[in-house]
Amino acid sequence: MIDQGPSQRRIRLVLLFIAILVLAMVVQLVRVQFGPYAPAFAAIELVIAEQVEKVEPARGLIYDRDGRLLASNIPMYYLEVEVRQLTDRSQKQIAAVLSRVLVLPFEDLSAQLLRKWVDEGQFRIRLTRLISGGKRWPIVVDQIVADVLKGFLADPEAPDLSGLALVPAPKRTYPAGWLAGHVIGFVNQKGKGYFGVEGYYDDWLVGRSITVELGYIPLEARLKPDPPAGVNLVLTIDIDIQYMVESILEQAIEDTKSESGQVIVMDPRNGEILAMASWPPLDPNNYQPWLPREERLNEQVEESEEELVINPAVAGQFEPGSTFKILTMAAALDAGVVTPDEEFIDTGMIEVGGNTIRNWDGGAWGPQTMVGCIEHSLNVCLAYVASEKLGTPLFYEYLKAFGVGRLTGIDLAGEVSGQLRTPRHPDWTESDLGTNSFGQGVSLTPIQLLTAVGAVANGGVMVQPHVVRAVVGPEGVYWPKTTILGRPISAETAETLSLMLSESLGGETHFAHVDEYTLVGKTGTAQIPTEYGYDPRWTVASFVGWGPLEDPRFSVLVRLDKPESSPWGSVVAAPVFRQIVERLVVMMEIPPDQIREKWTGGG
Amino acid sequence: MLPLIALLIVGGMYLAVNARRAQAGRQVLVLQKEQAELERMNADLTAMLAELTSPEQMLERALSLGYRPAKPGEVEYILVEGYPGPPVFVAPRPPASSNMGEGMLSPAYTETLGEWLLRWLSWGVGGGQ
Repeated sequence: MIDQGPSQRRIRLVLLFIAILVLAMVVQLVRVQFGPYAPAFAAIELVIAEQVEKVEPARGLIYDRDGRLLASNIPMYYLEVEVRQLTDRSQKQIAAVLSRVLVLPFEDLSAQLLRKWVDEGQFRIRLTRLISGGKRWPIVVDQIVADVLKGFLADPEAPDLSGLALVPAPKRTYPAGWLAGHVIGFVNQKGKGYFGVEGYYDDWLVGRSITVELGYIPLEARLKPDPPAGVNLVLTIDIDIQYMVESILEQAIEDTKSESGQVIVMDPRNGEILAMASWPPLDPNNYQPWLPREERLNEQVEESEEELVINPAVAGQFEPGSTFKILTMAAALDAGVVTPDEEFIDTGMIEVGGNTIRNWDGGAWGPQTMVGCIEHSLNVCLAYVASEKLGTPLFYEYLKAFGVGRLTGIDLAGEVSGQLRTPRHPDWTESDLGTNSFGQGVSLTPIQLLTAVGAVANGGVMVQPHVVRAVVGPEGVYWPKTTILGRPISAETAETLSLMLSESLGGETHFAHVDEYTLVGKTGTAQIPTEYGYDPRWTVASFVGWGPLEDPRFSVLVRLDKPESSPWGSVVAAPVFRQIVERLVVMMEIPPDQIREKWTGGG
Repeated sequence: MLPLIALLIVGGMYLAVNARRAQAGRQVLVLQKEQAELERMNADLTAMLAELTSPEQMLERALSLGYRPAKPGEVEYILVEGYPGPPVFVAPRPPASSNMGEGMLSPAYTETLGEWLLRWLSWGVGGGQ
């Protein structure tokens, strides 16, 4: 026999050890490939190999003109479960924890966790909760709840939540709440923008999503590509002015017991909207009641018959009444058919196209100049000017030039065009000429009226209203330029009419007066058309004005629908204008007339 | 014996390089997760800050400190020659799109030993040209 010696024995021992190791590896390989867990292992491989992720860029942010954040994105989390990682213990504890933290039925959660998803070929599920109509909606939790759950997941002493995953998803949030809600619009749970700026600039804000393969294997890890981001928007809105306007409007609605109302503040020189308020307000953080009806069915919204008007400042048309007389008088002055001092004998009635027109008080005001006609808001006088002085073709030509019946093109979703029946319309009759002259039988949106009247404030140049001041993309900043919509009247006419309106304002209502500032304006009280003629009770009270006279920096439109305290624009809308202007001149740092004259005169 | 030792050394080096590569890859994954988490926290804090500085909150705090909105007659105006007014706000630019999938790492980090050998051999063959 050959003595193997201790070294040979050691070699054999090592070889035996290696053989056992190799055998163990082979057993594991066979188990993985052909054992009872083979399908699960195969599925993991499949999941990892095929898993791709849709990377959504962060939706663009929205700021006010001074950089205050109006729309942002905050993280929210979907609750998902990797069913293969669930244990008997974690199934029960996940259901127990979630039902307590989120106040959801334990049985419903438990049923979702106990279902044999693997048999159905699903390894990862998103937990849902029951909503109305038997529909289910994914459970979404905020950062606070997510932090609690993450704490549980990281703590071995905490309830066993093995298998639970928190999948982040951005949620649109509006830090200023209901402020400027109608202007901003909102984004639904699927990330689609509706109404306002969110709706109008949806394609720009959303950016472009990309699909990337998920790299779970460290050896294949690489930096995740960034998708093309959405642009950031800077609005023309000044959130301080917006807040002031919304507060005053809310108070006015309460004081006058009006059904609804709108206020727009615009810079007539460039069309920048400084504030646009509507009541009832829209809270974009709780937008569901404002969704279009067909969309409400897809979201967790209780069905309601009410169809709310989003941003009535651009979508709510109304018959303007006497504020429209500004346009009739502007046309007549510009056409040279009347002068401010021209006399008109008011007999209290006039017949136009077989329709008898009377004044608002039914009275006859005798001899009046054109200034007097505006000051006393005489329907008879304006109907005379339109029918006897201007004539049908010229009158409607001017109205078209003022953009009546046409979209202004403001960069807000949902604008409507209003209605103007011209002689070309089959239903037009000559009596329409008479009623249109004082703002009846013609409908405009508040923004249309303010844009048209803005031409008078801006030396005859009508500019397009807009709410976006700058578009900031990855490539640079785009500053939209002022768009001139037209020059419906000459600069001389605009100046003459401004002086007339300023002079007449004091006589028409003292409620619009602001000490040390010369303002221009006109009240309006309009009846509301119904299927059966004009409503005998309710009115739309309005006021449109601007200032200061010599150098207009703002134009303001106030509209109150169905005020109960008084039907007259001079009583309910004019004080709102005054309150707003008293704050505006301070916030916009506009010195009183005397100081400005001193500065411009070099005194 | 020498070729075996050489092979072991090369094998060892290959394993060491791959281990470091895997470690770096793991770190990339961890940092990516951390970056995403920080971005989410940043967004949350920005939104909270915006909420705290909203006009409603600021007015409430100003009123509680005894201030009230100024009336037109209470403001003193001073003309400052050459003052251009407050600067115009420009929003921060959103991040530019970047496609960092392939191509951002040198192939030297990703090629296999076989690929490296082939490259080395082809370089050796073509090296004299």
